[in-house]
Amino acid sequence: MPELTQSVTDLIDEFAKLPGIGKKSAERLAYHVLRVHRSEALLLADAIRNVKENVRYCSVCYNLAEEEKCEICRDPRREQDVLCVVEQPRDLMALEQSGTYRGLYHVLLGRIAPLEGIGAEQLTIEALVERVRRREFKEVIMATNPTVEGDGTALHISNLLSEFPVRITRLARGITTGSVLEFANKEVLADALAGRQEF
Amino acid sequence: MNEKATAIVLRTVEFSETSLVVTLFTREFGKIGALAKGGRRLKGPFESALDLLALCRIVFLRKSSDALDLLTEAKLLRRFRPPGRELLSLYAGYYVAELLGELTDDDDPHPKLFDLANETLGALAAGEPVPRRVLRFELGGLRLLGHLPSLDTCVQCGTRVEAAGRVAFGQLDGGVLCTRCRHGMKQVVSVSAGALRTMTQLADLESQTWHRIEIHPRTLAETRSVLNHYFTNLLGRKPRMHQYLLQR
Ligand SMILES: [Zn+2]
Ligand SMILES: [Zn+2]
Repeated sequence: MPELTQSVTDLIDEFAKLPGIGKKSAERLAYHVLRVHRSEALLLADAIRNVKENVRYCSVCYNLAEEEKCEICRDPRREQDVLCVVEQPRDLMALEQSGTYRGLYHVLLGRIAPLEGIGAEQLTIEALVERVRRREFKEVIMATNPTVEGDGTALHISNLLSEFPVRITRLARGITTGSVLEFANKEVLADALAGRQEF
Repeated sequence: MNEKATAIVLRTVEFSETSLVVTLFTREFGKIGALAKGGRRLKGPFESALDLLALCRIVFLRKSSDALDLLTEAKLLRRFRPPGRELLSLYAGYYVAELLGELTDDDDPHPKLFDLANETLGALAAGEPVPRRVLRFELGGLRLLGHLPSLDTCVQCGTRVEAAGRVAFGQLDGGVLCTRCRHGMKQVVSVSAGALRTMTQLADLESQTWHRIEIHPRTLAETRSVLNHYFTNLLGRKPRMHQYLLQR
């Protein structure tokens, strides 16, 4: 069997590192890149470079952003007095897709998982408490994943926020316990938001 | 070959967009690591049963020595849901998972330890006082695993040590020391007879008297201090959950 060149082997290896891509698929993708026009292939390379060079965390809510503040934090039409707390940017995306929430967000960038060595200090909880202290939020909605660790994280935060005059709620239990928000469908998420309960 | 077991979920790690690698403590086979394809999905053979500390009935495919077993089904029997707004019960539950994970080996079954863990998680979820339940699990677990420190005979010479006044306890030696043997030993602390008696009763799995014994706050503090050191020595590092359980 003829040897592949080093560049092609490298490309296959890189594709194979992607989630859900096995050796065979990696080869198929690499051959596709070899086949298409140079300009088209470089669009992919540029897109990857752009993401890594331009995307950062919003300085206010820790959502993904291309400027200092994310699009949601910059949008004056969003309700400024409701805050929704999620674990990851992908959870925020899931809630946005439900299309019913019009307030602001705070992304924790994880959950408290002591057994994995992740404590409250490694998340953006301090910044969250500071936001609630400084701003007049009427309501903080806990939308961490309905797992043991997600619930524990929400409880830890709601204990911290109990000293402020703010209503703390959680998503309704429509979302299957033990699952994750990103896999819940739009309608279920919309219902969970609409039926939120006091924490 | 397809096996069935009752299991407590000790750990889940995202493996891909939809799959999980889970560490389970099973009653029948001891600790196992298994791949759950589609384990992060809402629907499917796992029905979101694979959450930390959940009790499940599982079906899995045994793989050869090195490979991960393949989980094919998990049915939720009981979710671990700590009561009210108190984080201490939750952290105690995490501690049960930590000790099971650290102190048992893969494929080494301990059905009695499984039952003790299951009972402990049930009691924590029911809101029973945490410190006593944690001590019972620690000491009962140590006994079942053959790690219980010697509480009535000198670990060096085997002489019976009377539980009266204060007794020397060798942290490194793993138990009490008689007056002759204690000299020159490192990390020896002095423990009250009351704390030794409390530990003995809590470690006695045949008896239920531990439910009724009074544990004075001073005795509790002393017992905790001895056990904290003991577990740190046993694991070779401080258990992760100790700081969370001590905070309050
Ligand atoms: Zn933002
Ligand atoms: Zn001796």
